[in-house]
Amino acid sequence: MKRFLIQRLLQLIPVLIIMTFIVFSLVYVAGDPVALMLPEEASPEDVARVQESLGLNEPFYVQYGIFLTNAVQGDFGQSYRYNQDAMSIVLERVPATMELAIASMIFATIIAIPMGIWSATRRNTFIDLFITGSSVLGKAMPNFWLGIMFILILAVNTQIFPVSGRGTFMHVVLPAITLGTAVAAEMTRLTRSNMIEILQQDYVRTAKAKGVSNGIVTYKHSFRNALIPVVTIMALQTSTLVGGAIVTEQVFAWPGIGQLLVQAVNARDMAIVQAAVFLIALLVIFINFIADVLYRLLDPRIKY
Amino acid sequence: MKDENQLLNVSNLQTHFFTENGTVPSVDGVSFQVNKGELVAIVGESGSGKSVTSLSIMGLVEDPGKIVGGDIMFEDKNLATYTNKQMRKIRGNDIAMIFQEPLTSLNPVFTIGNQLREAILQHQNVDKATAKKMSIDMLTQVGIPRADKVYNSFPHSLSGGMRQRVMIAMSLSCNPKLLIADEPTTALDVTIQAQILELMKDLVKKMDTAIILITHDLGVVAELVDRVIVMYAGQVVEQSDVFTLFKDPKHPYTKGLLDSTPKIQDLNEELISIKGTVPTPANMPEGCRFHPRCPHAMDHCISHEPQLETMENGREVRCWLFDEEVMEHERQKSGNEGTPQK
Repeated sequence: MKRFLIQRLLQLIPVLIIMTFIVFSLVYVAGDPVALMLPEEASPEDVARVQESLGLNEPFYVQYGIFLTNAVQGDFGQSYRYNQDAMSIVLERVPATMELAIASMIFATIIAIPMGIWSATRRNTFIDLFITGSSVLGKAMPNFWLGIMFILILAVNTQIFPVSGRGTFMHVVLPAITLGTAVAAEMTRLTRSNMIEILQQDYVRTAKAKGVSNGIVTYKHSFRNALIPVVTIMALQTSTLVGGAIVTEQVFAWPGIGQLLVQAVNARDMAIVQAAVFLIALLVIFINFIADVLYRLLDPRIKY
Repeated sequence: MKDENQLLNVSNLQTHFFTENGTVPSVDGVSFQVNKGELVAIVGESGSGKSVTSLSIMGLVEDPGKIVGGDIMFEDKNLATYTNKQMRKIRGNDIAMIFQEPLTSLNPVFTIGNQLREAILQHQNVDKATAKKMSIDMLTQVGIPRADKVYNSFPHSLSGGMRQRVMIAMSLSCNPKLLIADEPTTALDVTIQAQILELMKDLVKKMDTAIILITHDLGVVAELVDRVIVMYAGQVVEQSDVFTLFKDPKHPYTKGLLDSTPKIQDLNEELISIKGTVPTPANMPEGCRFHPRCPHAMDHCISHEPQLETMENGREVRCWLFDEEVMEHERQKSGNEGTPQK
């Protein structure tokens, strides 16, 4: 296990380098930031001076080298809008994003896994139809609409939950459910189809032939095997959520990375965009790494 | 014919599958007995209902299948009427089962030990440490070297033969009175087959366990069992002790099965096969179910279904060829028409 962990961590290094390259290139091709920073009437000499002071007249690979050296130290430059270190602004937003991502994953998992199992073990009954139908609905509802409906019904009309913002546990409930609904729908369907497949496996029949209870057959022998693909989806979905639930964050005025990123792109605040994209990518890599470790723990056949 | 020695008495068992395309009677009136410690084989082609018969005894027929008639008397309990919950006390404990596919019959994500001791903990009142000791002991008995190491390993690290040994250890771990082995050696290569059969034979003799061996391999039958039940299209067509059956098969289907087994002495001869295939339950022929494939079919067979008749030494055959009345009638008819039957 120790060797496996070290191996996986070493494999992350090239991924990180490629990632920084992409982050840098995107901004490089996005245009000259100096044009935005200086007033329109600035003389070409001024432009050239600023370009030189920022190192923008250097060739691409030199600029990338500088960027990489700084990025390794966590330095993505100054945000010209906030006049602050870009990374520290992004880092301030991380707890909010993580809180929302984790809360909606917990919500989705708690709903989806029992529903998926339930529906698989009662295949083609009314319950199964109901659960499958609901999951189609859950997947189909756009989350900006769902969020607004929640706000209208549960926050404005009945005032059970706060309308927006972040703070107490009550604040996170509505955005988490809004985000988690589509995730739960997808996970339910996946859990169901996996469970149906696993329940027909020979080893499930072996377990039944041993005379163990239905609970052991379903939860120990079947679910443990059905869980492996479900973990993949969980990792993928968490990655998406970490990447900024942009729409939901806007609807609920949730101060997360998504919101910050949208504002930064609109303002061409490239330091923040680079820092945010880099950090999101880092989180996604980290989540996938956790998923890899989980596979290994769940399925002894996996060797890397 | 209930006697002291009898362990299992299946009578007129009917297991039907209720599919969207209508009812499929996979097992249609099957009756047979198994005595304590007896080794019995159920032989037949794919689709003859032999596996469904064994799953019915285990109470493991999956939806949309259902036992719709008949009795399965195991000692003094009628398993056909048992609920799943009641059957759980029987399964793995009094009646155990080994399946065809050792490669997929063990759960890939749990250790051998975990799966082995599960059955023991389920049925015997012992603690984990004792169950572990019993499991390792069982693994040693089925001829697995370094049993304590294998106990902690996962199924994927074992070969097919080893996994089938584990399955045997698992099924025998609670000292069952009856072991149902559904094609236990089909998926294994020939040298391993012989070892596994030998092992099963030794162990059941030692533990006084009866075996129902489900197979289509007559070589395996000759090697292992005392008595043979031949099934065709959901019915028993012949039942006899193994020596008589091989020496003097009565039913044309049994003859066909024996003829289609390759024999070492006539290597040059082309292998004989029974023409046609087992009819699907949806288009079961009228009269005798074997008549479209039978070389001895008579007019009578086309319209009349034969019953399982007892002959000398308790052997049973389902065929009109052994009904004196019908045969007399056929002889007269063919005499009159001047067209002798084959």
